[in-house]
Amino acid sequence: MPLGTLDRDPPPFFRQGPSALSKLAVFSALAFFIMVADARFKVMQPVRMGLAAVLYPVQWLAMQPIQLLQGGGQYFSSLRTAQTDKDLALKKLGLQAQRANQVEQLALENQRLRKLLSLRDRLQSGGMAAQVLYDAADPYTRKVVIDRGMTDKVSLGSPVVDELGVIGQVTRVYPMVSEVTLLTDRDHAIPVLNTRTGARGVAFGDTSSHVDAMELRFMAANADVTVGDLLTTSGVDGVYPPGLPVARIEKIERRVDAVFARIYCIPLGLVAGASHVLVLEPVTAQITARPVPDPAPPSGKKGGPK
Amino acid sequence: MIMRPGQQLLLPASPLFIWGSLVVAMVINMTQNMGLWGRAAWAPDMLAVVLVFWTVHQPLRIGIGASFVFGLLMDVHQGALLGQHAMAYTVLSFFATTVHRRLLWFTVPSQAAQVLPLFLAAHAVEMAVRLIGGAGFPGFWVLLAPVLEAALWPVASVVLLAPQRRAPDPDANRPL
Repeated sequence: MPLGTLDRDPPPFFRQGPSALSKLAVFSALAFFIMVADARFKVMQPVRMGLAAVLYPVQWLAMQPIQLLQGGGQYFSSLRTAQTDKDLALKKLGLQAQRANQVEQLALENQRLRKLLSLRDRLQSGGMAAQVLYDAADPYTRKVVIDRGMTDKVSLGSPVVDELGVIGQVTRVYPMVSEVTLLTDRDHAIPVLNTRTGARGVAFGDTSSHVDAMELRFMAANADVTVGDLLTTSGVDGVYPPGLPVARIEKIERRVDAVFARIYCIPLGLVAGASHVLVLEPVTAQITARPVPDPAPPSGKKGGPK
Repeated sequence: MIMRPGQQLLLPASPLFIWGSLVVAMVINMTQNMGLWGRAAWAPDMLAVVLVFWTVHQPLRIGIGASFVFGLLMDVHQGALLGQHAMAYTVLSFFATTVHRRLLWFTVPSQAAQVLPLFLAAHAVEMAVRLIGGAGFPGFWVLLAPVLEAALWPVASVVLLAPQRRAPDPDANRPL
């Protein structure tokens, strides 16, 4: 039998390297610093991007059989399904046609009225179609990954909508893909406007209940809100264009002892199952810069003339 | 060099196969996420199983450093907090290093029972980090993940040792 055919090395007595405990200490400390730098100081994005570029071929490889299977499944889906889908789409188009045809005239009218009142023009934002690749695996957040990235000039913070309403916002941009935080994420907030009353509020993601939903927070217990109210983007944030449908109010709990009512809403967009989405440009770029605040007046003791 | 009773003599492990199996485990993790069940807290982490397996069987080749790097890659793929998997895998690999001399003296089902606490610890580290960071509880299904990972240990022992169990010198005269 030739040498080196058996997996029996004598244990290295003298050449052991650093002990496991010291390695544990070093690498845990390193991981801890990385976590703090990522969560608290937000400085790890270049590292993340470098690792993502390394990882992209592997991800691409993992995607191929999945896309092949999904494509194959669609290929064998019956003719009837396709025809039903087409009929549904045509019906929807017919319903939208009337409103869509009026939009031209209304837009013109609105423009003239705004000119009469010498108001600024409404902000327009262009869009880019994208496809949702997969849900991000992290079970603590609600994110999806779309197939547009830095190469397609996706900018950070872009609103993402589907055909029914807003579904989220781009929160990380990689070279080939981007991450979209969904409306139902716990840390996601969106400024909304109640279209019935015109009251503005802020809706937060809510994953505490069984189904992912949203919560309209900081509305007084006696605020004029009813079940079924439509919430749209208010446009005061400088990110979302105004008037995009966001959610519908589902349930209201008014308690005697609480200052605020608990208002649950259901997102209108297909947050959990969207496949094709539109990435809008954030309107931030079109807004004129804030005026520079006046220099603070010198305070009595410290800021005196020198 | 003490041999366990009934221990099979194995071929040396090929480094290419070790690193290849780690990458394949990562691809399986990604496939689970992208194609099968999306954002599931209970999905077993194949990479953790393979890392523990090689830390136990080849402690000179795969150790805490490799686990840390693969953890960072998993974090980037998941879009999670950068460093959470790195820390969990570091802890996992440390415990695997501490038990690696003892573990192989047991039968494979008994080994699976003994690596269960390791996987539990890794998931506990991960969850503790996220909960301290202000995330919400992902649901009780997360408790299923370490159990599934321990259940995959016998499968890993068969599949990952298969290349080392071949005959050292195959020729035409032997049935194998």
